[in-house]
Amino acid sequence: MADAPETAPGGALDGVSASDDSGTCDFGMLLAAKNLAKTYGEGEAATQALRGVTFDLCNGEFASIIGQSGSGKSTLLNLLGLLDTPTAGTALYHGIDSATITKPARAIMRNEMIGFVFQFHYLLPEFSVYENVAMPALIAGKLPTEEIRSRAEETLGMLGLDGMSGKNANALSGGQKQRVAIARALMNRPAILLADEPTGNLDTTNTNLVYDLFREISRETHTAFLIVTHDRSIAERTDRILEITDGNLVADVRNSYLPEDR
Amino acid sequence: MLSLRVAWRFLRSSAGQSALIACGIAVGIATQIFVGSIIISLQANLLDTTIGSAPQVSIEAIKESDPVRFTPAMKDVVYNDPRIKPGTVAPVRSVPALFSNGTDSATLGLIGGELKELDGIYKISDKTLSGKASLGNGEIMVGKEFAEKYGVSAGDSIALALTGGQSGTFTVTGIFDLGSSQFNGRQAFVSGKVPQNVLGWANDEFQAIDVQLIQPYDSKDVASSWSSRLPGVSVVEWQGQNASLLAGLVAQSASSYMIQGFVLVAVALGIASTLAIAAVQKTRQIGILKAMGLEDKAAGRIFLFQAAMLGVAGSALGVLLSFAILALFSLSPAPFTISMDPTFVAVSAAIGIVVALLSSIIPIRATSKLDPIEVIQNG
Repeated sequence: MADAPETAPGGALDGVSASDDSGTCDFGMLLAAKNLAKTYGEGEAATQALRGVTFDLCNGEFASIIGQSGSGKSTLLNLLGLLDTPTAGTALYHGIDSATITKPARAIMRNEMIGFVFQFHYLLPEFSVYENVAMPALIAGKLPTEEIRSRAEETLGMLGLDGMSGKNANALSGGQKQRVAIARALMNRPAILLADEPTGNLDTTNTNLVYDLFREISRETHTAFLIVTHDRSIAERTDRILEITDGNLVADVRNSYLPEDR
Repeated sequence: MLSLRVAWRFLRSSAGQSALIACGIAVGIATQIFVGSIIISLQANLLDTTIGSAPQVSIEAIKESDPVRFTPAMKDVVYNDPRIKPGTVAPVRSVPALFSNGTDSATLGLIGGELKELDGIYKISDKTLSGKASLGNGEIMVGKEFAEKYGVSAGDSIALALTGGQSGTFTVTGIFDLGSSQFNGRQAFVSGKVPQNVLGWANDEFQAIDVQLIQPYDSKDVASSWSSRLPGVSVVEWQGQNASLLAGLVAQSASSYMIQGFVLVAVALGIASTLAIAAVQKTRQIGILKAMGLEDKAAGRIFLFQAAMLGVAGSALGVLLSFAILALFSLSPAPFTISMDPTFVAVSAAIGIVVALLSSIIPIRATSKLDPIEVIQNG
């Protein structure tokens, strides 16, 4: 394996204290979910979607979250992705407590450390494939244009989308759009890619293609993957399965399935 | 800048809607410029008609029958004042005269002075309808209404009885029209020697020293400063003597500002509502951008840039449209010409842009408040 990915991002997060909690990870601890809870509504109408979930994830780990529909797995992913704020508990990235940083700092953390892939591709129809993929780097505004261009082309190539960069995002097939969304999520070389039912809208061929890609990218870039799925057969293709039931983490198992080429 | 790029792309993706907003701003700004220019031109025309060919500040004796001595000290004050319109200082003497043609008779005020100096105030040479402008010995210029009423033409001789039992015969050299039938019917111009002889005054003694100003509305300040520097004389100015005209002009300006204000409010409401709709239409995209790490301020700037682009395009279009409307208006038989003041046009266009920017406050706030999870959860 190559070197571990970079750790804490700079910029607005400079000066935020990070605790050393590397645990048993070969390449260091990436994420620590601590007693994460989320309640929607108030009073009698209150619904507890997540009831205090605690687990750790290492740099480069390839894991999945499984559970029935409404079990709270997407809520957990949104909290880990800093898209939503927990009612209680917190998520630490490289020891940085996301609950204690400012809103702009959370935005920077999302941009630099986390990549998202959702069931729907969420591409911007006003922009070309290249611009969609380059968008996270354009938002960060740190790289020179030439480097953004070459990195976007490289990422598109990694996903088998060579020659597509000039096309409008709307002109692609469903599978291609989802691969562009994956390329976009990987553009800033995040420490973790969070995927919520990423193949929910794809056929079997494209589903297999996407998971093979995830595995390959994980191996090549040491990006950690946390994939939410309700399909146990998909979860079994990952190295670790976290099972959520009624908002509780009921199982955390290392998968026995190991592809031959790992 | 990413926000600018996204703003431009959003506008381009809804080209029809963007064009409609720009046209809305353009119509508003064109109306603003057109209405404003009409009122400004109308007032300038009214002002020119009323005081353009009349003294705007006059130095007179405190006692009406006394002369004013145009001393070197007074000349120094008057000629060296930078607010005076060059060539418009006219020392004048006037006396009443009685005209009679055998059947009719009428009083006629004789204004005496040098033609060149009188031209500075009254522009007689430019406003001579027939004959020529000349005020030599025994020559007189009469007004259009007087000439028509008493059948006088250029070249005729008329007899006038002057005060003090004197009389004289004058040759009519020209007929003038100063735009006021009352003036044309009751006043006439003669050589300065005529009233001087009647009144028995010295060469430096006059009824009044009349002047015009570069900016007519400076008359109060000019009169005030001259009053303090020229003791023993009375300085009168047109604003003090035309209170009702001034009140009319002020009321006209107020109504113009009100119309322009309502036009701007209508433009602002139009832009604000359309931008608010655009913000709602782009909620999904903004949410996705925020999920990728776009900060609230940068997201808000997207709509600020959109408003700025629409404001600039709309205002520029509005200025062009106002030119077209004024060109059309100039074809109509209006009694006055409308001229566009470049400063007023520039200010109107700037107001259009500022109004557009202010109109973006609502969508900016809505965008800043948008939580990306709302978009992700709701698809």
